[in-house]
Amino acid sequence: MRSWLHSYKLLLKWNALRMRAEIPVFLALQTVIASGIVIGFSLLIPEIDAVSALYLTTGAMTVSLITVGTVLAPQIVAQQKERGLLDYQRSMPVPRLAMLAADATIWILVALPGLVATLFVAILRFDLQVSMSPWLVLAVPLVSAGSVAVGYCIAYTVKPVLVGLVTNIVMIAALMFAPVNYPAERLPEWARTVHDWLPFQYMAQAIRDTIDVPAGGTPLLPFVVLVAWAIIGLAITSRVMTRRI
Amino acid sequence: MSAAPVLDVENVTKIYHKKVWANDHVSLTISAGDVYGLLGHNGAGKTTLLNQVVGLAKPTEGKITLNGRDAVADPAYARKMCAMQPQSQAPLDGVTPKEAIELMARIRGASRRDARRRTADLMAALDIEPWADTKGEKLSGGVQRLTAFAMAAAEPGRLAMFDEPTNDVDPVRRRLLWAQVRELADQGCAVLLVTHNVIEAERTVDRLAILDHGRVVVHGTPTELRGEHAHQLRLEAAAISHAVAQDLAHEFDNARSAVAIGRRMIAPVAADDCATALQWAQRHQQTGRIDEFSFNPVSLEDIYIRLVGSPDDNVDESDDALLAT
Repeated sequence: MRSWLHSYKLLLKWNALRMRAEIPVFLALQTVIASGIVIGFSLLIPEIDAVSALYLTTGAMTVSLITVGTVLAPQIVAQQKERGLLDYQRSMPVPRLAMLAADATIWILVALPGLVATLFVAILRFDLQVSMSPWLVLAVPLVSAGSVAVGYCIAYTVKPVLVGLVTNIVMIAALMFAPVNYPAERLPEWARTVHDWLPFQYMAQAIRDTIDVPAGGTPLLPFVVLVAWAIIGLAITSRVMTRRI
Repeated sequence: MSAAPVLDVENVTKIYHKKVWANDHVSLTISAGDVYGLLGHNGAGKTTLLNQVVGLAKPTEGKITLNGRDAVADPAYARKMCAMQPQSQAPLDGVTPKEAIELMARIRGASRRDARRRTADLMAALDIEPWADTKGEKLSGGVQRLTAFAMAAAEPGRLAMFDEPTNDVDPVRRRLLWAQVRELADQGCAVLLVTHNVIEAERTVDRLAILDHGRVVVHGTPTELRGEHAHQLRLEAAAISHAVAQDLAHEFDNARSAVAIGRRMIAPVAADDCATALQWAQRHQQTGRIDEFSFNPVSLEDIYIRLVGSPDDNVDESDDALLAT
């Protein structure tokens, strides 16, 4: 465990050094995109009620985490793969999961300021009343980890030229066709069944129900499902990373 | 050279997609203190072999033992024991050589102090200090490659593997790099060196194997590989024209072993006949038919070309003829 943490720490430093020029740009863009979604939706729907406002705000936060994990991260990995840099990393004497964890940490940090900005804009724009739960501290990394795990799965299993396309499809699905920004009841029956198995609605629910805790308390199910998705994603990614052709 | 082998590759065969034989029953042994050269054309299977040692690829057949342990069964151990500079560039975007070398040494297990000291030493030895704080994307290809070399050499473990380390590197720094390769071996590391650069490798390696189509066609020390040619010299004379070069080849020994390639006349000379050949060449230089001439030992490159052929067929055939004598 000590050597795992040692590797993690050094890899995190390695990532931070390599991306120090891009991180401020990522942070700025993420913050603009996340708050832009809230403002944009409020223009689309001028008369917004408290429930919709909560959905849109927490939806925007979820979408920004999903964007970082399943769009930004895999596109960077695909670039590295194309340039043959992944083999370099694979030849390093470090645990594979420490490498993934160090990557995921950077992506979570990139997404965090955007989340805070979204909440801040929403409180101002919609007069949103929130009752946050301490579970939010767990929900954010879990949603991020789930997204990064899915994103890395895409990056490692799909050809680099197709990664951009696949990640955009995931992004549109999350933004428009998943019960993230609106309640699941608005979807047709079959789509609801599909989403019972996909992680998106659980990601949205984990954030929503910890930003504004429902009357019955924060439900456990989204957390369980997200842990399962993170494990599946990491297992596949780790398998692909360690595979010897 | 007498120490227990650090790397023992035994009959390793690697077949891709059930039909491409990248390695065909390759065997080699490298001990601590040895610099072992792996020579061969592009696609001869050199990089595939390195990838199998470090656990990026798995042999179809055969055994790889590293430091007494099965490297195929335990790739994580193999990665810990061996540092590799791959043929592709290292991920240097956004990081400076100083940061990259130091951090890689620490990732490979060096303490902060040792990593810092070793980084400073290597940068000085390779003469890349002027770029110590320049970000990777702004470095020339040669300095990037020297940095990648230092990233592996800073904390090399028991076995250091370098895949074409001198590509893009200027001639002066190439010599500095070869000196560091030697230094690693002198400090007890086993070194596996992949290169196309036969002439430079000859000066550095203790032993070598020549790979062709995945097979080891010959292995041994440079002297062993020269074999019967070790006692021969090679006379190379630059004539004033191709026609004159052909005339000279006829005159030398009725063109039995002397050949004309362009303006050059090349002929093998037994050590005992050197004095006569020297007088002959000097005479023609005085009459103005030869611009200049030289006597050199038969090089490893000549042996290499004879064994695996050359992409340039003319040169290949001529050199073959020359060496077949």
